[in-house]
Amino acid sequence: MIELNYFLLLSGILFSIGVTGVLIRRNAIIIFMSIELMLNSINLSLVAFSSFLGNITGQIFVFFVMTVAAAEAAVGLAIVISLYRNKETVNIDEINILKR
Amino acid sequence: MAAYTLSILIFFPIVFSIPIFFFNKEKTTLIKTYALIISLITFIISVYIFFIFNPDSGEYAFVERRVWIPLLNSYYQVGIDGISLLLILLTTFIIPLSILASFNTIKNRTKEFYFLILLLEGSLIGVFCATDLLLFYFFWEFILIPMYFLIGIWGSDDRVYATVKFFIYTMTGSVLLLIGIIWLGFLCIPYVGFFSLDLTKLITVTSSLPMDKQIYLFILFTLGFLIKVPLFPFHTWLPDAHVQAPTAGSVILASLLLKMGTYGLIRFSFELFPAAFIKLTPIIAVLAVVGIIYGALLSIVQKDMKKLVAYSSVSHLGFVVLGIFALTQESLQGSVLQMVNHGLSTGALFLIVGMLYERRHTKEISEFGGLMKVMPVFSAIFLIVCLSSIGLPGLNGFVGEFLILVGAFNAPNLHSYSYTIFATTAVILSAVYLLWLFQRVMTGPIENEKNKDLKDVSKLELCTLIPILIFIVWIGVQPNTFLKISENSVKKVLLIYDSAKQRINNNDAVPK
Amino acid sequence: MQLKQTLDSLNNFLPETTIIITLLVCIIADIILNKKSPITSLIAIAGLLIASYFVSLQIGIKTSIFSGMIVVDPYSVFFKFLFILSTIFVIIFAYASKEMKNSGHKNEHVYLMLSLTLGAFLMSSSINFLMMYLSLELVSLSSYILAGYTKKVKRSSEAAMKYVIYGAASSGIMIYAMSLLYGFTGSMNIFEIGRFLTSNSAGSNPIMIISIVMITAGFGYKISSVPFHFWTPDVYEGSPIPITAFLAVTSSASGFAVLIRFFSTTFLKSYEAINGNWQIIDGVKWTEILIVISVASMIIGNFVAIWQTSLKRLLAYSSIAQTGYILLGLVVANQAGLQAMFVYLIAYLFMNLGAFYATIMISNKLNSDNMEDMKGLGYRSPFVCVSMTIFMFALSGIPATAGFVGKFYLFSALIEQRMLWLALIGLLNSVVSLFFYVKVVKYMFLMRPDTGSTSKIQYGFGNYVVLLLLAVPTIFFGIYFTPLLRIAEASISMFGIK
Repeated sequence: MIELNYFLLLSGILFSIGVTGVLIRRNAIIIFMSIELMLNSINLSLVAFSSFLGNITGQIFVFFVMTVAAAEAAVGLAIVISLYRNKETVNIDEINILKR
Repeated sequence: MAAYTLSILIFFPIVFSIPIFFFNKEKTTLIKTYALIISLITFIISVYIFFIFNPDSGEYAFVERRVWIPLLNSYYQVGIDGISLLLILLTTFIIPLSILASFNTIKNRTKEFYFLILLLEGSLIGVFCATDLLLFYFFWEFILIPMYFLIGIWGSDDRVYATVKFFIYTMTGSVLLLIGIIWLGFLCIPYVGFFSLDLTKLITVTSSLPMDKQIYLFILFTLGFLIKVPLFPFHTWLPDAHVQAPTAGSVILASLLLKMGTYGLIRFSFELFPAAFIKLTPIIAVLAVVGIIYGALLSIVQKDMKKLVAYSSVSHLGFVVLGIFALTQESLQGSVLQMVNHGLSTGALFLIVGMLYERRHTKEISEFGGLMKVMPVFSAIFLIVCLSSIGLPGLNGFVGEFLILVGAFNAPNLHSYSYTIFATTAVILSAVYLLWLFQRVMTGPIENEKNKDLKDVSKLELCTLIPILIFIVWIGVQPNTFLKISENSVKKVLLIYDSAKQRINNNDAVPK
Repeated sequence: MQLKQTLDSLNNFLPETTIIITLLVCIIADIILNKKSPITSLIAIAGLLIASYFVSLQIGIKTSIFSGMIVVDPYSVFFKFLFILSTIFVIIFAYASKEMKNSGHKNEHVYLMLSLTLGAFLMSSSINFLMMYLSLELVSLSSYILAGYTKKVKRSSEAAMKYVIYGAASSGIMIYAMSLLYGFTGSMNIFEIGRFLTSNSAGSNPIMIISIVMITAGFGYKISSVPFHFWTPDVYEGSPIPITAFLAVTSSASGFAVLIRFFSTTFLKSYEAINGNWQIIDGVKWTEILIVISVASMIIGNFVAIWQTSLKRLLAYSSIAQTGYILLGLVVANQAGLQAMFVYLIAYLFMNLGAFYATIMISNKLNSDNMEDMKGLGYRSPFVCVSMTIFMFALSGIPATAGFVGKFYLFSALIEQRMLWLALIGLLNSVVSLFFYVKVVKYMFLMRPDTGSTSKIQYGFGNYVVLLLLAVPTIFFGIYFTPLLRIAEASISMFGIK
């Protein structure tokens, strides 16, 4: 039996990696991947808590998070594509028409 | 009629300003005459009120009280005493004149101009009538909007800067006032029993508040009013606004808007927080005296006529503030009268400068000289107005200033003669800057070619100036007509002073 | 038993059901009808009106449905009316906007707006983390697509891109905190969490402060408060103006709905019936966090807005500042503050939508929302500009407008709770805000037009009617605000408290 703390630690590390990725990477696709990483680390912690507490709610939440993540990815990638058609780049440093 | 008198007075110009928008834009004469007639009818209503007003009681007359916002216990509550009546009369008197003065000067967007002036008139009367703090604040703030457009649209070249400065300055003051009003309402809940902003109720309970709270509230209220007056360190918006404003705007600003501040000092700062008023008197009296002298000195060195008059306003209103803070029967009545006097003579000075500007399109003193030869009637009027502003005996300025100085000299609240002594020097200084102005503009040889064929005053201009001259002389020789209106109201105000002083003495006597 | 409960719940779910059905009908209608047809919009408005009828049936009810997922209470009813009103207006805006017409789409925006409204409905009534998260995501997903609606316009797709990244990241941060709270307390229901925290006096546990900050990130991004506001100016500027108006009002009001409910129920120990003060669970410092956020929003929003030349960007920063004001109502943590927020939200609906609609009308004709191009516009289209002036003065809180009433109430609530300094900061900020609100008026009326045309600009009659519908309440509620107060007073009672 692995202790709860290890799961939480792993989830925390993964979450931090995800947040760092969002903050420092410049490629929109990689940013989306980092967001996915964040969401999956959340799933991990939810499942861990759920099994630790013997409470099913956490696991149900995970299914919804996965669904929403898929929807978000779909919308996000669609927007990336429309942006690419307009600007031929997915680098967010070059997304700078606004903000002057 | 009697039950609605004040509401009619407040809302008559406001309601009848709206039809202006349905007039044909081309028919400027119709619009002008319409606005003039409306303002004259307002004046007649106010004169009617003057005649049926009973000056002996000193209590609020024509009180109206209607539920406005029941959840706030807020009432639409108006009423006037002698002090407000004088200022209302001044308002309704000056507005038609400033409309007359705009007949030839405002050539574009006439509809909007007269609409805003009438709107302004209604809200000004509202300020002087309101006895509920929320209602008062409504009118007080609302005045900014028409004034903003009056200066901003019809002003001269640098108007935008001046407007924004005026707006931001006075808004800052208003915001402090708003905090004070709300805080006062909450602090008084234990004494009144519920949240109320009714002035007549609050006056009876504010003395029970802790002293430090009274002082904070006093500062919040008074700062708002002093910015409007404007007293010495807060005056910098005034010259800019005056210089840029159109003639009518300057007249209204100087004669009426500034009086809102001094009126607020008596009606709210003092009546609500007499003890704090007494405690902080030295600071404000010093500022007033500094303002009196500083304004006068700056007036001497001005090259622009409008700026000169603007700074002289700072000086004259310093007198008014000093008179208010001296808190004697003479000085307080002098201050109320001086508010009217300043409204008349400074208003007239701005009208005169406006007339010169219209002829030569400059306000530089050095551009003029020797106008006496080409404009004899004009120069006579100019001289009378100057002398009235200086305070020549027999004219109105003398009565007000004399009463203030006499009252302040022995005032127990000031504790010292020195305020009066310093303030008196400004009487001399005002003679310097005004007579020097007259000398440079009117006397001597005509050096500038452009001045050679200036026309003397037209009939229209005479119509605007003569009524003011009548009152200048009237107040000068028969001030009692006006003094007796405010006499009993001032007495009642001073009763508050006596009881507050009694309380302070009692508190000081009790060992800690 | 379970089935019966669900069926009962459906009875109280009629407004949402109506919106779902309307949404489907709109999709079908849009497929059948041709591009220019306004019928889709009309169907949507009719559906919303029917929904508002069903919402009106819920007045006074206070119950939880779907096994404690969502509730029906006066609080949610208030927000539902607010969302319906603003959605109806925005659908009209979108119909009037040239930008939307030129986007090359049929009427997709209508059903996206409806789905956003549905999400907002659920947000205002959810009491469970799962439901909060799902409804928030429904709002977010619809708004991402709406922000990138004019997909051939570079600015628009850039805006959508930024929005999606910020939105996904902050909702991720939020649910991480939710998972922590779940692990800590063993429940997703905010009432049970509150009970757990009270009975174990666990409020001062460090995990609480971390969770609160992280959850604030999720909600704070929806209401665009500092420091989660970075998307706001770009998205507001990049999106078509009707969408911007929609985001500024409905989306941010839904954020407020869930934020208020979350903080006021989760961390509530007890409730004083006498003066309406909330007893917050010991050690939970959410008011302090919100004070910082609110002051920062006011200051940054107002000061940055001063330098803007684009009207849309100016309104974006003004929205950030307004968020700061509205949050002030929550930090006093009592019923009076809540009431003040409600008053302000109603006022905000009219004045902000009005400001955006006037912007739409102006930029339709000028093809620009830069204030430099608006010099002297007041004389070319006086009606629009006078209305704009009313909205600007209302937003800055000058009397005789609804904005003043809102501010008056907010600051009254603060002063009543002896938070004088906060009131002073707020009011001084509103003086700062005058700089830029008045700047708009200045360009329209005080500046003379440079060159070019000085001809009058004509608008259709319908435009004026819509503008009046927004301007008249702004003034009416400013002078006679008893109805506002009554509505707010009736709506403050939440499921669980009072």
